[in-house]
Amino acid sequence: MSRPKMAATDLGSEALAGLVGRPGRTVLTVLGTVLGIGALVATLGVAQTAGNQIVGAFDELAATSVVVSNQQGFFGDNVRVIIPADAEDRLTRLNGVNAAGSIGPVNIGERLLKSVPIDDPLGQTEFQINVQAATAGVLDAVRGRLVAGRWFDQGHSDRADAVAILGPGAAQKLNIFRVDQQPVVFIGEDAFVVMGLLADVERQPDLLNSVIIPDGTAREMYGYESADTVQIDVAVGAAELIATQAAIAINPDDPETLRVQKPPEPASLRRQVEGDVNSLFLVLGGVSLLVGAIGIANVTLVSVLERVGEIGLRRAVGAGRRHIAYQFLMESTAMGLIGGILGASLGVLVVVAVSASRTWTPVLDPLVPLVAPLLGAVTGLLAGVYPSLRAASLEPVEALRAGV
Amino acid sequence: MTMADVQPIVDLVDVSRTYVAGSIEVPALRASTLRIDRGEYVSIVGPSGSGKSTLLNILGLLDRPSSGTYRLAGTDVGTLTEGERTHLRGSTIGFVFQAFHLLPHRTVRENVQLSMLYSDVRRSERMDRAGEALARVGLSHRVEFKPVQLSGGERQRVAIARAIVSQPRLLLCDEPTGNLDSATSATILDLFDDLRRDGLTLVVITHDEDVSGHAERRVAIVDGALSEGAA
Repeated sequence: MSRPKMAATDLGSEALAGLVGRPGRTVLTVLGTVLGIGALVATLGVAQTAGNQIVGAFDELAATSVVVSNQQGFFGDNVRVIIPADAEDRLTRLNGVNAAGSIGPVNIGERLLKSVPIDDPLGQTEFQINVQAATAGVLDAVRGRLVAGRWFDQGHSDRADAVAILGPGAAQKLNIFRVDQQPVVFIGEDAFVVMGLLADVERQPDLLNSVIIPDGTAREMYGYESADTVQIDVAVGAAELIATQAAIAINPDDPETLRVQKPPEPASLRRQVEGDVNSLFLVLGGVSLLVGAIGIANVTLVSVLERVGEIGLRRAVGAGRRHIAYQFLMESTAMGLIGGILGASLGVLVVVAVSASRTWTPVLDPLVPLVAPLLGAVTGLLAGVYPSLRAASLEPVEALRAGV
Repeated sequence: MTMADVQPIVDLVDVSRTYVAGSIEVPALRASTLRIDRGEYVSIVGPSGSGKSTLLNILGLLDRPSSGTYRLAGTDVGTLTEGERTHLRGSTIGFVFQAFHLLPHRTVRENVQLSMLYSDVRRSERMDRAGEALARVGLSHRVEFKPVQLSGGERQRVAIARAIVSQPRLLLCDEPTGNLDSATSATILDLFDDLRRDGLTLVVITHDEDVSGHAERRVAIVDGALSEGAA
């Protein structure tokens, strides 16, 4: 005897009718899956968007900065390697270096700084201000701008001229806002002609509150020994290469003793950001998906118990156990699929909304919104297995007794 | 005449059904022999608890007898697998229940089509045959209604349309007028008379004298034992 066949479309429309017949319940049941899938899609989308965005922002400034320092250990109090005075020349010879300059603090002892040689008993005229020694290339290496005057050159350093550049913080304290009348600052009793005023720097912000003098002058007058930092401005894409070459150029004997800070590689940075965002929220999304699945399983089970009479009737008119199982399985799968589609749409909207609020470019792998509904369907399918088996195992006689 | 025509529709030989609850055995149907020929209109009467429903479940292939043989339209159902019994049930037997058993969220037409859903009937043919069956029970004007919008008598007529649409060889009715008032019952019984005249074999289980009076043959069941003729 041949088994009755049943078209998949008929099964589908029976399952769909079961869902449409109870719209309120279907909507509430689907909600869990919507939130789960939505959270997953939004998480992946926001992570990708943010990852791309952060890389874009870092490309601008950090990716072209390499810093070499001779600080040893966390406190920097171990034996230091001397950074040679001609480090700047050695580095600018490297292909890919736009500008380089050495910076280091000058030990001026107990000396205070002042801009007038008079002691005013009514106001404070003397200040404790950091004095930094710098080379000629520092201005370009830190991408600084001057308000007035100019940066010193190699000649000032070679002659040990008593000239100084003031950072804006130092200029404020010393009350010097123009250089055309050749103002003077005193470090202790030593007079320095102010030849330039800094407006801003993009790197090494310490300079903003410092008085900056040529390194040759510092060496001559204050026994300055070595810079502690070499700032290098490199061409885009050259950071990795220069980072390996800079230490060798500065200290060929033992390059390992120098610390080199290089920008993180863009690709690894993006992965790192995506990883950070993903791992947290994917867990959240997974949990809500699990809750959604339990919701579907629960409601499908209740639905089976409520529709015992319907199951009995279907068995009476010739439905086999597998027909009953398929129908409930399809109902739960359809709920999962609907939840997946709605959730994916919601997730995409969230990504777009987050991007719009941050003026970012939304980035989302096109596979994500396509696979998400399938994930929802699989969730529904798995959730429906147990209730469907329960429905199929009902005896028709018992089931018919329950009424519709 | 072919073999199928001369064979009885129902041929029960020494069929019994005993329910086992733990260590207690409860005989619901004692060894019974019953033969119903093609085109007969049989009523099975008896008080509640007499085994009427057990007999109906066995006749309708919803339950298996504990002993004895049951031939339905010439087929010994004891030898069939679960799937084959299900198919035979769907293709050979129509059920009419006391509580109608209509799906509340589906239209009248969809309820009637349900009988053909699990057999090889194309969708368009299902539509046509459901329309014909509903015309047969006088409900052509109610095809797109939901069961809740119908009266009790109309609901039972939908259930009858659902039972006859698959062209069964046996119509099993379990207290078909039990939920209806006497005037409505009369219309249902008239409908059974019509179906009987068309050649359908009817078995009606009831405890109502009016209902059993329409049948040409009465089988009484008391304490699980069948007896011909007497009430």
